[in-house]
Amino acid sequence: MPEISAGDTAWVLMSAALVMLMTPGLALFYGGLVRRKNVLSTIMHSFFILALVSVTWVLWGYTLAFGPDTGLGLIGGLEWLGLDGVTGEPSSVYATTVPHLAFMAFQMMFAIITPALITGAFAERKRFKAFVLFAVAWSTLVYAPIAHWVWSPDGWLFGLGMLDFAGGTVVHLSSGVAALVAALFIGRRTGLIEPATEPHDVPMTILGAGLLWFGWFGFNAGSALAANGLAATAFVTTNTAAAMAALTWVTLSWLHRGTPSVLGAAIGAVAGLVAITPAAGYVTPGAAVLIGMGVGVVCYGAALLRLRSRVDDALDVFSVHGVGGAIGALATGIFATTAVNAAGVDGLLAGNPGQLLVQALGVGVVAVYSAAATAAILIVVNLFVPIRVPRPAEEAGLDLAQHGEIAYQP
Amino acid sequence: MVIAALVCFTILFVAWLLAPEHPRAATPLAAAPDVEPMPLLEAA
Repeated sequence: MPEISAGDTAWVLMSAALVMLMTPGLALFYGGLVRRKNVLSTIMHSFFILALVSVTWVLWGYTLAFGPDTGLGLIGGLEWLGLDGVTGEPSSVYATTVPHLAFMAFQMMFAIITPALITGAFAERKRFKAFVLFAVAWSTLVYAPIAHWVWSPDGWLFGLGMLDFAGGTVVHLSSGVAALVAALFIGRRTGLIEPATEPHDVPMTILGAGLLWFGWFGFNAGSALAANGLAATAFVTTNTAAAMAALTWVTLSWLHRGTPSVLGAAIGAVAGLVAITPAAGYVTPGAAVLIGMGVGVVCYGAALLRLRSRVDDALDVFSVHGVGGAIGALATGIFATTAVNAAGVDGLLAGNPGQLLVQALGVGVVAVYSAAATAAILIVVNLFVPIRVPRPAEEAGLDLAQHGEIAYQP
Repeated sequence: MVIAALVCFTILFVAWLLAPEHPRAATPLAAAPDVEPMPLLEAA
């Protein structure tokens, strides 16, 4: 029986709490970006998912994602349904120095924030009941299988040697692609001020970005699953990439629009955090600088292209999380080195070009599966509950029309 | 216990499916985005 480490357990539980805080942080980040008549409904998406996936993960999500494989590396079995057999003793497979329940709780927070990320794409026009059905289905049919492929030792992408330290593909690419599909399915918002609707509360968004940045230390450094040097490495690479991407985005907006955008600093930091996520425990701080700058440039361009494309991914989830997650996963195949993490694999620059191909395969498979499964879920949900609210409700605002509440007194 | 927990969640899930839309969602509202908000005390 593996022995529990007090230090590792404390760090993993603390990290789970840090990641939990990211979802309310995301609620504020998104809430500030929408119009004032939709701020509560936007916040509610993230907050409701925090409760919803907390329960579904305990009941069936964890066993599907991390339970003993059913044989093909595609999905976990039902042995741990309702956390049956998941106890305060360590798992023999995952994080063997912490209680199995601590590992489960840490992973639960990832499962919570991933569908919450998608909500930015259909903000300001999605019917709440349809959102609930979509969230349950997506968490079960998209997140759990992908997590199993990449993070279970029996998962088929894990078996190919794919590297994803903290969820660049499992969390960000999957949700970013799903967001794009959802935006295309649900259509553009009505009453937009062209070329883009102005955020109603930038300080709220900055506060949300700050909480996301803070929580991301748990997300990435916590993924070391131990209080050790690898956690410290991931901590430093995470902060470095976020900072570099924020600096890059602000610089680009300054050159492009003539002013250093405050909002750009927040969005740039998030893009950097996304991109370093799969790489955090495999690359050096120097590589994190390059990754942060690269993702700042590419995601800024992606956001501009999105504006011109007329696809109303309301809060640029695909441009930041989809593109950023893909960039990070590929960058891992370039910059990974066993000098940082002996349990990892060398990447292209360390003489192993094959790793980049494995990463590219993983990116492609996750993107295609997420797109197809998300489309299928949206079609089925729409058969039972129309995804989009009626036009009068959208014009009145979802806070009042869907929740019967308002954020601000006139 | 696991079965009981699944039943509890299922009860909630069915309730979500059957829950009514907020009356204002089904009622045509003024097209203006600054529609008169419902007083919170009245809503409660």
